[in-house]
Amino acid sequence: MTVPAQAKAKLAHDRRTSDETFITLLVVCVAIGLFIVASFFVPNFFQLLNMLNLVTNNWAIITLGVGVTFLLVSGHFDLSVGGIVALSGVLAVWLSQSVNGANALSTGLGLPYWLALIGAIGGALAVGGLNALFVVRFRIPSIIVTLGTMMLARGIAEVITQGSQRNTNLPDNFGLLGNMPLFGTSIRLPIVFMVILIVVAIFIEKKTVFGRLTYWIGTNSVASKLSGIDNDRHLTHLYLFSAAIAGTVGILLASEFKSGFSSRGTLMEFDALVIALLGGVAIAGGFGSVVGMFFGALSLAIVTSAATGLTLSPDWQFILKAIAVFLAIMTQTWARAQRNR
Amino acid sequence: MTDPQSNPVLSIETLTKDYPGVRAVDKVSFSIFRGTVHCLVGENGAGKSTLVKMLTGALQPTSGMMKVNGLTYAPSSPGNARKAGIATLFQELHVVDELSVQENLTLGMERSRFGFLMKSDLDDRVVRTLAAIEPTIDPSARVSTLSAAQKQIVEIARAASSGASIIIMDEPTAALSEREVERLFSVIRRLRETDVTVIYISHKLDEIFSLGDAVTVLRDGKHIATKPLSDVAGRAELIKMMIGRSVFQNHIQRPSVPQEAVLVAKGLTNHLLKDVSFHINRGEIVGFYGLVGAGKTEIARALFGADKVSGSISFNGHVVGRSPKASIVSGIALVPEERRTQGLFTSLSIRRNISVMNIRRLSARGIFRASGEKAAAIEYVRKLNIATDSIEKPAEKLSGGNQQKVVLSKCLFAAADLLLLDEPTRGVDVGAKTEIYDTIRRLADTGTSIAVFSSELEEVLGICDRVFLLFAGSLEAEITNGPDVDAAHILDVVNGGMRRVKK
Repeated sequence: MTVPAQAKAKLAHDRRTSDETFITLLVVCVAIGLFIVASFFVPNFFQLLNMLNLVTNNWAIITLGVGVTFLLVSGHFDLSVGGIVALSGVLAVWLSQSVNGANALSTGLGLPYWLALIGAIGGALAVGGLNALFVVRFRIPSIIVTLGTMMLARGIAEVITQGSQRNTNLPDNFGLLGNMPLFGTSIRLPIVFMVILIVVAIFIEKKTVFGRLTYWIGTNSVASKLSGIDNDRHLTHLYLFSAAIAGTVGILLASEFKSGFSSRGTLMEFDALVIALLGGVAIAGGFGSVVGMFFGALSLAIVTSAATGLTLSPDWQFILKAIAVFLAIMTQTWARAQRNR
Repeated sequence: MTDPQSNPVLSIETLTKDYPGVRAVDKVSFSIFRGTVHCLVGENGAGKSTLVKMLTGALQPTSGMMKVNGLTYAPSSPGNARKAGIATLFQELHVVDELSVQENLTLGMERSRFGFLMKSDLDDRVVRTLAAIEPTIDPSARVSTLSAAQKQIVEIARAASSGASIIIMDEPTAALSEREVERLFSVIRRLRETDVTVIYISHKLDEIFSLGDAVTVLRDGKHIATKPLSDVAGRAELIKMMIGRSVFQNHIQRPSVPQEAVLVAKGLTNHLLKDVSFHINRGEIVGFYGLVGAGKTEIARALFGADKVSGSISFNGHVVGRSPKASIVSGIALVPEERRTQGLFTSLSIRRNISVMNIRRLSARGIFRASGEKAAAIEYVRKLNIATDSIEKPAEKLSGGNQQKVVLSKCLFAAADLLLLDEPTRGVDVGAKTEIYDTIRRLADTGTSIAVFSSELEEVLGICDRVFLLFAGSLEAEITNGPDVDAAHILDVVNGGMRRVKK
């Protein structure tokens, strides 16, 4: 009890930034650096509208990335989000299409629009519940489970759309959610949804018990269980949240294009994974942040749009992504090793 | 046969191994003779495994030397040792399940030309060796169809057919049933007839008396005695040599606690435990002592609700043992056996480690109070004297003793009324050990009940008021600790001594 106040203050204060802050800063710097470089070489790149477009064009991936990031931090994959996007979009269309269509693809269940949306979210949650069931109850590795449910969700969407798409006989207000301009600007509702989700996710991650549990479980799931954390319950919540986010994205995209398309969201699960990794989220769990994921997404968007601006054929996009992923992961590994020497 | 006394196959001369701050093996000298089973005994930490590691080349001695057949032997790697004719059999099996017995025996010794296997006399030799030591094993059988003991025999045959003249066996019976042990023993005896020397390490004194020709006793890294087992007057003498006399002076008699049972366990039974019943009083320190595999960890995990058991556990009148979460809420906390894999979040800071078991105290409506967490971390770093300059240091950067203090802080912060400590000082330096013992006593004085699960007799007798002795999953005896406690009796009981009396 005789420890001087000075020593107490010293214990609490650490001059070193934590690894987490360090990696986040690194990711932010990479994004800014890439933007500056691109501004020099690409004509018309350094414009307010372009900066805005980098974010708004990628709202779906970034939104999905929130759920994926939380699951990765807990040490688990979610590859089903792309499939859920397709399923919930197709469900929203099919459930609300009127019953008196001219052919099978233009005939739906004729439910009121709000009920169709609940049905679509319900379908998404069912897939999320299935993920949780197999991962938590049967202890099957999440990468296998969600690979399976990804195909299952898209498969159901394919059956409902007969491998094509449904875009006729829709209620009048179907296109509202995805296209509604807000504040009299070009910013649409989905963008607002993304911004609100990110703010809420950062709050959950930093300030709530829920966020803490995610890190403890991801760091050491055996120790977390022996410390009184209900791992199974928490993972179930995470899978349901990720599925609900993906379901919402599916509904918004279906509304934007006024169609239910079974191939919508293809490869989105991988893009969400890639931006999380670019943002410094550890693939083994226990480490990473939503802010990092957001700037990871920006970096990727800058690279791909700069390439397009340089009139590089879009065929090169995948190779550019591959290079970006390798570089980002090598830099992180190297930077962290340097610090911990 | 020549006079064995003139012909040691292995002699060890003033062998010493120093670790920073500890002398693990201290000027040990003795000789082992050809064609004998030589047993190595001693308590945990006596220096047996360090000695064996030097024999197999896994560790280099600080000073002293070893001779094999009169020639200087200084192995720099396990491969070196094998060339000198010394093979080691570990507790874990190293056989390939998918191959046949014969293929396993010749594994790594195949002759080939241009990458194609060649038939050689090797196959005949291994088949003959196997037939000599255990004729009932079919060389063409798939290893996956064999029992654990048979697999072990295949490993022995592999060592013998590779020309090893000395085979070291470290607790080879740990995973075997009683009948399988008998089978292994007859193999070892037949091996001895073929002039192979066996160095046999075991905690089980019965095995040593039924198998050994000679025994070497180590204690605190020092050589106590080497003599033929025929000259040892029973288990009592062996135990006496193993524990010495002046070991338990650090026991501090605590004032007796009132008989107020906080925890009552009745008839705990699972795959290992057999009808274990006991109670723990308020403010009491009880010990659970037994050999590895006696059921200590199983009892600790059962009380905490980490594993399912049949039987009943009541704590302060409520039924507990359903889940760790429920146990913590009702006031029980566990310091698990494996610190790094079960207790600690190694990559997280000290601050984030200490808070985990009492989230309720640090949160309101799901919002985490970071300031409370910080205050708690500073409080426990000071209270337990954790050596760190910052509470933000990742736990993996601390020493073993300080890591254990972090795990202990975690449990203390949970404000538990019953602390279960499984091997609380394993891999902890002497200074931190004393501090942990002081913390345990201080907690008990304030009314916390504490159960210590340990395989170190010195620890149990040093801090506990009452000690439960375990053998093979059953609670054999309960003793009240005191200055006149009979350590020899305790060692006899945990080696199954009570069973013999009953028979």
